[in-house]
Amino acid sequence: MRDFNYIEPSSIEEASRLLADLEDEEVRVVAGGTALMLTMRQRMVQPGHLISMARIERLHGIDFDSEKGLRIGSMTRHADLARSSIVRSHYPVLASMAARVANPQVRNQGTLGGNLCYADPSTDPPTCLLALDAQVVLGSVRGERIMPLSSFIVDYFETAIEPDELLVEIRVPPLPEGMSGVYSRFLRTAAEHRPLVSVAVVGQQNAHICHDVRIAVGASTPVPCRMPNVEALLKGNRIDFDLAERAAAQIAEDIEPLSDARGSAEFRRQMVRVVARRTICEVFGLGNLSGGNE
Amino acid sequence: MSKHLVECTVNGEVCQLEVPAGRLLSDFLRDDLHLTGTKRGCETATCGACSVLVDGEAIKSCLMLAVQVHGRAITTIEGLAQGDTLHPLQQSFLECGGLQCGYCTPGMIIASCDLLKNNPDPSVDDVKKGLSGNLCRCTGYTQIVESVLHAAEKMNHGN
Repeated sequence: MRDFNYIEPSSIEEASRLLADLEDEEVRVVAGGTALMLTMRQRMVQPGHLISMARIERLHGIDFDSEKGLRIGSMTRHADLARSSIVRSHYPVLASMAARVANPQVRNQGTLGGNLCYADPSTDPPTCLLALDAQVVLGSVRGERIMPLSSFIVDYFETAIEPDELLVEIRVPPLPEGMSGVYSRFLRTAAEHRPLVSVAVVGQQNAHICHDVRIAVGASTPVPCRMPNVEALLKGNRIDFDLAERAAAQIAEDIEPLSDARGSAEFRRQMVRVVARRTICEVFGLGNLSGGNE
Repeated sequence: MSKHLVECTVNGEVCQLEVPAGRLLSDFLRDDLHLTGTKRGCETATCGACSVLVDGEAIKSCLMLAVQVHGRAITTIEGLAQGDTLHPLQQSFLECGGLQCGYCTPGMIIASCDLLKNNPDPSVDDVKKGLSGNLCRCTGYTQIVESVLHAAEKMNHGN
């Protein structure tokens, strides 16, 4: 690794000022550091300055308010999210997703904020948070702004964050009564921790009739996407195996999949269809058909 | 490169050392403190041989900077035994043959410590998931899983 300076500001303002002052030099923000250390060790990035978020109090903690919903400080680690009693009771789908990210050691170090800012498509949190209608709060010396997660993740490894901004927190609105979700994914091998397909379905039903549903697909696409056509197809209808199959086929058709060494576009499309069908069936009480995916 | 005074506890002993910002925790432990039980394997966070406990939680020390452990407590494989008495996990790996070349063993045992702390009575599947951040290229894992289950039983029910 190239030599660098390590700076630990204690407030968002101080960090933002440092980022603005150092804008022309190679500077990187470090949260947990799991992804950044890898890219630095492989010399994909060679920053001269690392600005650590560790000592900024405002970026830590998880709170819940029944009207405002969930607030997750960006420095919250995946393990904290998975273990949080607040998250487990109000958003079990989110806790279940967090318990599967990468591996135990990475969950003990990597943070939700770091994960979202890195914007790697082959990961779990963005897809799940998209189906939960999450928003992000960005902070700088210029103040704070809120945007939907769907606007924050712009492209493959690219977000809407400005050079002097920090991801402060992630907000998840309260789930309406009776709404619950399932997050599923497909890993090519048990040893590979990066999903090839991820699907999150959050739905509200009564005796298999879909009152509301939100579907997000990721890992197979450059950015995770909501599936508005398919959501419309399901809303108001009785969900049976045939409709779930048709919805899954529509999802597979609607996505624009990545195609790379880990999986061709056609393979990804097929696996998205399979995982989506199983996930829809599980959310709408047609049994857990998860089989090979988790 | 900036230099930083790192004050932390390593295996119960207070340690103060000035390190450059880029010093990895794995190098800090092995090269500065000469605690070579922590192994460097893949150096890309895949194999888990470099796992250590930071405030009781397993992390991969090839991915963490020494400056990140300022004020925290580190436990390495050297810190598990009580004098000549091995930790139940160490004893169990010995009895069940949970190793061949032994290179991955410190990481496996450290990851198992974290697993059993959170889940004292794990299923086979729980153990496999708990060790999913660690690779062994000799054993095929069967005896590693048995070692962890055996240790859990001993720790829960005494000898």
